[in-house]
Amino acid sequence: MSVTLPWDIFFIIIFPGFLFTAAVGLFSTWVDRKVSARIQWRVGPPWYQPFVDIIKLLGKENIVPTGTGMTGYLVFPIIGFIAVVLVSTILWVTNWFPEATFVGDIIVVIYLLYLPAIGIIAGGSASGNPMGSIGASREMKLMLAYELVFLVAIFTPVVASGGTLSLGGLVGYQAANGWMLGNASCIVAFIVSLVCIQAKLGLVPFDIAEAETEIIAGPYTEYSGAALAVFKLTKAMLLFVLPILLIAVFMGGAWSPWTILEYLLILVFIILVKNTNPRIRVDQAIRFFWVPCLILSVIGIILAAVGL
Amino acid sequence: MSLSPGILLITIFLPMAAGLLCLLVPDRVRWGRESIAVATTLAVFVIAILIFIAPELRFQTGEIGLGIRYLDLYSYSFSSFLLMFSSLFGLLISLFSIRYMQGRGRLREYYFYLLLTLGATNGAFLSDNLILFLAFWGIVMVTLFLLTTIGSRDASPERVFDAGHKSLMIIGGADMALLLGIGLLWYLSGTFTMSAITPQSGGMATAAFVLIMLGAISKAGAMPLHSWIPNMAEAAPTSVMAFLPGSLDKLLGIYLLSRMVLNFYEFSPGCPMSLLLMIIGAVTIIAAVMMAMVQHDMRKLLSFHAVSQAGYMVLGIGTGTPIGVAGGIFHMLNNSIFKSGLFLSGGSVEHGTGENDLGKLGGLAKAMPITFIACLICALSISGVPPFNGFFSKWMVYQGILEAGASQFWIFLIAAMFGSALTLASFVKLIHSTFLGQKPRELEGVKESGISMTIPLIVLAALCVVFGVFAQLPITQFIAPVVGPVTVSGVWSPTLATVLLLVALAIGLIIYFIGKIRVTREVPMYIGGETLDPVETSVPGTRFYDTIRFMGVFSGLYRRGEEAVFDIYSYGKYVLPVTRVLSVLHNGRLTTYVSWCLWGLIILFLILVGVG
Repeated sequence: MSVTLPWDIFFIIIFPGFLFTAAVGLFSTWVDRKVSARIQWRVGPPWYQPFVDIIKLLGKENIVPTGTGMTGYLVFPIIGFIAVVLVSTILWVTNWFPEATFVGDIIVVIYLLYLPAIGIIAGGSASGNPMGSIGASREMKLMLAYELVFLVAIFTPVVASGGTLSLGGLVGYQAANGWMLGNASCIVAFIVSLVCIQAKLGLVPFDIAEAETEIIAGPYTEYSGAALAVFKLTKAMLLFVLPILLIAVFMGGAWSPWTILEYLLILVFIILVKNTNPRIRVDQAIRFFWVPCLILSVIGIILAAVGL
Repeated sequence: MSLSPGILLITIFLPMAAGLLCLLVPDRVRWGRESIAVATTLAVFVIAILIFIAPELRFQTGEIGLGIRYLDLYSYSFSSFLLMFSSLFGLLISLFSIRYMQGRGRLREYYFYLLLTLGATNGAFLSDNLILFLAFWGIVMVTLFLLTTIGSRDASPERVFDAGHKSLMIIGGADMALLLGIGLLWYLSGTFTMSAITPQSGGMATAAFVLIMLGAISKAGAMPLHSWIPNMAEAAPTSVMAFLPGSLDKLLGIYLLSRMVLNFYEFSPGCPMSLLLMIIGAVTIIAAVMMAMVQHDMRKLLSFHAVSQAGYMVLGIGTGTPIGVAGGIFHMLNNSIFKSGLFLSGGSVEHGTGENDLGKLGGLAKAMPITFIACLICALSISGVPPFNGFFSKWMVYQGILEAGASQFWIFLIAAMFGSALTLASFVKLIHSTFLGQKPRELEGVKESGISMTIPLIVLAALCVVFGVFAQLPITQFIAPVVGPVTVSGVWSPTLATVLLLVALAIGLIIYFIGKIRVTREVPMYIGGETLDPVETSVPGTRFYDTIRFMGVFSGLYRRGEEAVFDIYSYGKYVLPVTRVLSVLHNGRLTTYVSWCLWGLIILFLILVGVG
């Protein structure tokens, strides 16, 4: 199936790109807040709270620290946002139309997912705040920590499928041969990648870059108003997009109604981990990812290479 | 319009002649040498474009026996596109040098060597004869040494000499291997004419392959023959770094390696030589970028990337699959664009501030906006961020790795992809320490460099964007004619992706303007509620990765790296006893040399008689 440009524009603006992903992402943050509240014996906010928060932020003035270059300070938050919008579009289109060769394959998606981290790092660093700099350096180190393991884990299904790189190809392969999770290798890889997306989302125990109790809000310290809203929106959208990526490569693809259930399962798992763990230091995170997680993921990919 | 083949001579000898002219121009003539250099390189660039558009051209002088000619020049798809880019880099570097080198000593020599390098490089690309190729290749090595000796502003004469000496030793030694390899290749194929050599196989061909490969990777700067580049970075002018290790040396080295893989050797995916190249590539990527992460000197950090990126090219070409080789060649082209762009933005920062130490820079984004944006674009390209050009060529290399088949190849794929993340990390450090963060008080009043320095930066950054977004253009025009048709299993449509990213950008801006982005208020920075001076409390980027540096295994590896345990040059001392014996023979007396010649002739005579 070939897709024409007006359709592509529709895909990216309305569905599944911006509006849909933003709406579901913000709704997911509500699920996060509600479940967390219930775990802590609180009532929790109403369902529209995240939307109201964003609208409130849009109404606030734009506060810039003295002596900061405005352009960079305001452009960097958008970098991550546009990448997530594009990744979401790629994921949904290739899941629903596995035959379509749309924009990019799994390598493209992995690289595009660097951009949210780059946006946070560059934004924090552009704000000139020392807390922002510390946060940026932590974010970068955390990225190095999880990225190695994430690469090994996400390529396990690629190896298991005999070198299929396109997302549509992986979905199609699973339609013909059953879920990737049916292989021992991919079970290992799936567990590891669940841990990785926790870090990619910057949630406890990996909220090292933000660490409110240590460095105020890290890279976000100086941000306010619309720019902060874009940062928050990007994070909310990632909370939706990253689990969908895992569903696409491990759990048969995101095209059946079961996707909703699969997504909720992953989401609740993320929320539970978030609420039951303390924050770790960045050097602990690097050690955690580069020793036990790496060994586990390498075992997974070796299993895939020998055909298990 | 048909071109006369004699036009090929102009691209080689016009720069050389203009270089000689530069030597003659007296110091009194203002901008004399600079205008000669810019005008010559511009002319050569235009001629190179004409040659590229024209069909294949061949220029030969008469035979002097044994099928050898003085000059045998041949321009075809591969050599003519390289010719065009070497001339473009020559033009941009001459333009940049006007201001950057202004007021330094030995300018006369500088422009002479610069133009000589360009002529010799063009000669190497056009030569269709291995001996002629080797001669031009050798000239580039000598000019590299000579350009290094010009020296950077802050380097002591000893350091300059050491760096020049080191590059001469390593590249010269590897060129010995290259000479032997060429000899073997001649023995096997029976000809020195490059276009007539058919792919060879067998044990001796493999030996020739390894020997020629050593010559190629020493020029391109892949491990283990890379260590001259970081040393040179601290000693040579930054414009020289951009010109030679940044661009031309890469073009030359990778050109030779690809010719070897494509034309001279029976190279197939999965053969032992392919595995060797892939291992060299993967190790180079990771090891060099790990060193780059902990550097404090901007030039040295960039130079380790010049090594690391060579790894991607060797890895891509080593896969032996059409898409991998195409990716390797495309990455060579892209790398010379963003790498020279990065070196030049480093030079621009150095020109503006007089500083190379990342710890003493910062917050320059506002003062040097063009340098900042060019550096940012090049940094994103080298880190392989879509949709810039570096991503496309790396993506092609990854496709090549998977295409090469064997299921254990995922290890190369992951090494190469993780290399990108590490590259990104070291550029986060560079960008933060140079352009973002807080500006030290000493740097108040720093201004953007002049137009002659920003134009090359703008051109290179623009090429990064164009070759990324419209990658089909360089692929179909430059790469496909060399490698032939390629098949791809993956998916990446950069133009569509860019359109969609721009739409998303528009959405982002709309969100901003729905919000009150125009209502801006400036407030002092919030640092934990204390009234602290942001400049005093700023966090330098140089300390970003100390957590990793001082961690278990890495602290030992880094210490050894700094003690030059991994530097092949530091093992040179074990060869000294042998060379001391040889140096005794060189006593400078004519009679000694004559008697050696006589002995040689007698032995030759006996051999010939014996054979006859």
